[in-house]
Amino acid sequence: MTTSLSLYAPRDSGLDRLHPLTKLVFAVFGVVVGVTLPGVWPNYLFFLLVLLPLAAWGRIVPEFLRAVFKIALPFAISLFVIQGLFWTNGTPIFQLGSLSLKAEGLAFAAKTTGRILVVMGSITLFVLSTRPDHLMVALTQRGIPKTLTYVLVSAIQLVPRFQSKAASILDAQRARGLETEGGFFQRVRALLPVSIPLVLGSIVDVEERTIALEARGFSRDGPKTSYRVLIDTPAQRIVRALMLLASVALIVFTVVRWWAV
Amino acid sequence: MDRIRKDFTTITWVMIPVAIAINMALGFIVFSLKIPFLYLDSIGTILVGLLCGPIAGLLTGALSNFAWGLLGNPGYVPYFPVGALIGLLAGLFGQWGWYKQWWLWIFGGGLITALAGAVLSAPINAYLQGGVTGSGTDVLVAAFRAGGASILQASFFQGLITESVDKVVNYAVVWAIVKALPVRFLARFPRYINVRPE
Repeated sequence: MTTSLSLYAPRDSGLDRLHPLTKLVFAVFGVVVGVTLPGVWPNYLFFLLVLLPLAAWGRIVPEFLRAVFKIALPFAISLFVIQGLFWTNGTPIFQLGSLSLKAEGLAFAAKTTGRILVVMGSITLFVLSTRPDHLMVALTQRGIPKTLTYVLVSAIQLVPRFQSKAASILDAQRARGLETEGGFFQRVRALLPVSIPLVLGSIVDVEERTIALEARGFSRDGPKTSYRVLIDTPAQRIVRALMLLASVALIVFTVVRWWAV
Repeated sequence: MDRIRKDFTTITWVMIPVAIAINMALGFIVFSLKIPFLYLDSIGTILVGLLCGPIAGLLTGALSNFAWGLLGNPGYVPYFPVGALIGLLAGLFGQWGWYKQWWLWIFGGGLITALAGAVLSAPINAYLQGGVTGSGTDVLVAAFRAGGASILQASFFQGLITESVDKVVNYAVVWAIVKALPVRFLARFPRYINVRPE
């Protein structure tokens, strides 16, 4: 499988060599931390003191920061502008003509931006440091049906192929004189002549793939052997258990706190 | 249970990753055509729901969001329940024979999906991302917030408006695609009965 197709950045690092499940559990833990940590600053601290050092350990800091900011920046801008200016009944702290920035809105925007940083950062760290096929092998070994892992692996392989197919159909139709620029309705009308060939073309090879898979015993029951061997250590098992425990504790803590309010 | 098992034939399992790739490739086309307020990223999901049943659709929608996450858009991952719901509903509408009445399929199916999607995505969006999407549709959020709506309400109305347009177009494109597919091919799917020409 070509790995350059996903976001995965191959590195010779300790983070890269960790068992995929350890990184997956960490991503889940990070998402739980992001959505449960109270207040404004804890999330920023978690990002700076946990996620960033882990990215450094994995030697993926530039990729990590680029990916996270690409996601978080548009949100942050929208949040500060919209919630800052249009917070209902907030305390104005800065006047801008007829509009004013509200303290509560800015606090909310800062809090939510921290949350987005931690949630997206955790998922991004996982995606950057984990080979998709290694993850699938690990999941299959833990009893996830192989049909499910097949779906994810082949989807990841198909997407770039389909994307280049879409681009060439777009070019081909343009060469035949299809208007793909101009007014809104003109562009909407261009949708069908582009999407139908793409879908029809791709669906036709579904039939061939079905026959190919059947011939290789896809629907046969029973255990299958794997080409890849993954290394797991007792230490990683303990860390995974601890992170899961901490996630459950954080969720319980948050629910109890909500209940008390 | 037995019916669900019958939906998951080998062709269903092959179709699901293709559908996920179709979701993304069409999303890419819409992006290239620069059509505002349109995503068109559920075509494959709706197609599987219609041709392979509601549970297969549900699975396609959910996995689509995870695949998107693995391919560099982690922002989609938290919305996997919305994808799942879209596939489930498409499967149910197909089962109820809505495909055979084009207006019922396109407007009934499209608008109900939009409403349900907005209901489900608003709390996720409001809690996780403070009600904004970081894109052009935030103009709507700003307008609703300025009008005194809460974050959850603003997120819901923004979702309802953009989703309504998007899902009606999604359902219309699926309708046109299935009409263009050869019957010989359609007949291989477990829910061929949903789309069989009269």
